[in-house]
Amino acid sequence: MSDKDIYVRGWGAVTTLGWSAPESAKNLIEGKVRPAKAGEASHLISSEFKSFAVPYDGDHLSKSQKMLEGALDEAIERAGLSPSEITESSLFVGTTGGFFIRNEYEFTEEIRRNPKKESPPISGRNRGPGEVTQVIADKYGIKGMAFTLSMACVSSSHALVVAAKLLEQKKIKRAIVFGFEPLLNLTLHGFSSLLLCDYDQCRPFCATRSGMQIGEGAGAVILERGDKARYAKSVYKFAGGYLFNDNSSLTSGGLDGELVKEVVAQTLSLSRVSASEIVAIKAHGTGTKDNDLSEGLGLHKLFGEKLSPVVSLKGALGHALGAAGAMETAVWLSCLEEGLIPKSFGFRQLDEEIGFAPAQKNNVASNGAYLCTFFGFGGTCTSYLIIKE
Amino acid sequence: MSLDKTNIFKAPLPVIAASFLGPALVANGDALWEEAKLPLSSDEIVQKIMGQPMRRAGRFIKLVCCGALNCLQSVPKEILHDKKVGIFLSTGLGNIDEILPFITQVFKHDGGFPSPNQFANSVSNAAAFFLAREAGVKGIILTISEEELSFESALWLAQTYLESAQIDLALVGGCDVFTPTIEESRERMNLTTDNSRLLPVGEGSSWLLVGRGEQQKIGDILAVHFAPPEKGVLPEKNLPGMETKENYFLPGFRVKEEQIDIWKNKNNWQIHDYLPCCGIHPVASAFGIAHALQSKKTGCFLHYNVNAAGRQAFILARK
Repeated sequence: MSDKDIYVRGWGAVTTLGWSAPESAKNLIEGKVRPAKAGEASHLISSEFKSFAVPYDGDHLSKSQKMLEGALDEAIERAGLSPSEITESSLFVGTTGGFFIRNEYEFTEEIRRNPKKESPPISGRNRGPGEVTQVIADKYGIKGMAFTLSMACVSSSHALVVAAKLLEQKKIKRAIVFGFEPLLNLTLHGFSSLLLCDYDQCRPFCATRSGMQIGEGAGAVILERGDKARYAKSVYKFAGGYLFNDNSSLTSGGLDGELVKEVVAQTLSLSRVSASEIVAIKAHGTGTKDNDLSEGLGLHKLFGEKLSPVVSLKGALGHALGAAGAMETAVWLSCLEEGLIPKSFGFRQLDEEIGFAPAQKNNVASNGAYLCTFFGFGGTCTSYLIIKE
Repeated sequence: MSLDKTNIFKAPLPVIAASFLGPALVANGDALWEEAKLPLSSDEIVQKIMGQPMRRAGRFIKLVCCGALNCLQSVPKEILHDKKVGIFLSTGLGNIDEILPFITQVFKHDGGFPSPNQFANSVSNAAAFFLAREAGVKGIILTISEEELSFESALWLAQTYLESAQIDLALVGGCDVFTPTIEESRERMNLTTDNSRLLPVGEGSSWLLVGRGEQQKIGDILAVHFAPPEKGVLPEKNLPGMETKENYFLPGFRVKEEQIDIWKNKNNWQIHDYLPCCGIHPVASAFGIAHALQSKKTGCFLHYNVNAAGRQAFILARK
């Protein structure tokens, strides 16, 4: 361990598989994965689009608040942060929809209560993505720097990389990185309008894949410099954080894999880890034709025959958009704690063009480097390593 | 409020160029405008700056691109040649201008025919993507949202990237557009009679090009500072670079009139009240700093604002 390195001190997650990161990880490892369902939440108006909802008995607005608190409370508790440590922490939030859920919930409730009245136009009364950050800062008493990155699917993965950079520069003492994305009609209908949703099942890296399935969730990862990170069974180093934004295509990162290869190569170079040292890869793996092709080709080009097991969590958790970075990283950390990397769900048939199948069985999570990748709308790319020591 | 070391820049951050665009949609100029007539058509300014219409983009994307390119076009091309440029777009509300019609269509037709193009544009970082493409920038491109302190956050972050030499120049700006109605717009910004100045709501796209370029600079950013609500008021004796004779206080839209009066009565301080030129919008501070740096005034410019929860932020610039 080194005082200069960045370590994960705590994490937490709320996903469709559970209200904590260990519960989600346990269900993944045991294969207790439910298929996406349509219209599970009362505010969702279409029974056509399947999604991965977080299980909850109450209304969706209060659920979203509980998701927020659930992931943060878990991360803070695991990290053992004292009140003064919380106060001096900096906060990095990645979200796309923010509290837009409030607009949708209030609108649909109004319609439900007054079915015979002509519906008014929906109003947009939320205060933008930064409102989430301010609510968290107020609730937890966080007084360090505060940033909200609103960058579609890489919002919270970019937030992790930015936070690590500021820690390296000694600009901040500690970073609470949080991703948050409740289910919205806005995103379900939006990605469907772009023909990017799979109406059957999300099948990352599969020859028969036809799109993503949106999930909801929240995730929190607490980063800091030095060796106070011994709050878990193992110690986890965050290394090689790299973000890049291409300007070639709004909706894809190119189809030849070159961009993916370059981004991951940068992470390996920054962290001084060789390709052969990667134990496994937590890929972005959305299940869309273009993403999986470019990501698959990029990984194959870089790693060749040495490609370690590739896992996409989206066949089991759905694509949590802006929350994906923090949420998937938190669940992955709990899998590492359990000592097993889960298999990749939804795969049926090898795509010859991609040239490899994602992991189809659980693998032992030995000590070593785990690559995490995220590629999003607007040519955005994030890559980093979690090194289990 | 104590200035801790992380928030005073080790060296002044040169401002190579500044531009502002307010609700009258006049680039780098003040013009009369009325809240009730907003939003104005952006076709003319798009044609003038972009050289062609942006038919598939909404006003937010158009104003982001126009404001930023207006800034870039004001510097010789050789300044940008072979430089690693980062883009830091700040916005309090994002592209609400395209989100609202899209979601209205979703609910109107019960899942019918919302526009995929409108959804793609409404995604939070689409505007930064279009700007990056227009400006030929790849690499560090971040969209930052922090309500009324968005621009301050983006400027602080840009400075850290410049300091680490990961980029040579940073194009840092703020854009928020007026989206009807006035009442909803005020609610989105959490404006009440007792938490903000009594001014009309507006809009703007205002930008700074900062970084290495000591010889071409028009001014400097000396500090960006944040403080929690309970900390005291600005201690001017602690501010760096205050050797200038003329000092200007730029009050943000949540600064109380009594506080502005205090600054009016200080020796060597005047008020540079830019808000009547742009109206209240979350990134008005970007307009204020660019407006001051583009003015004929010289001296120090201190922009101060708080958010609705009382979190304080100031930017200190010098020209």
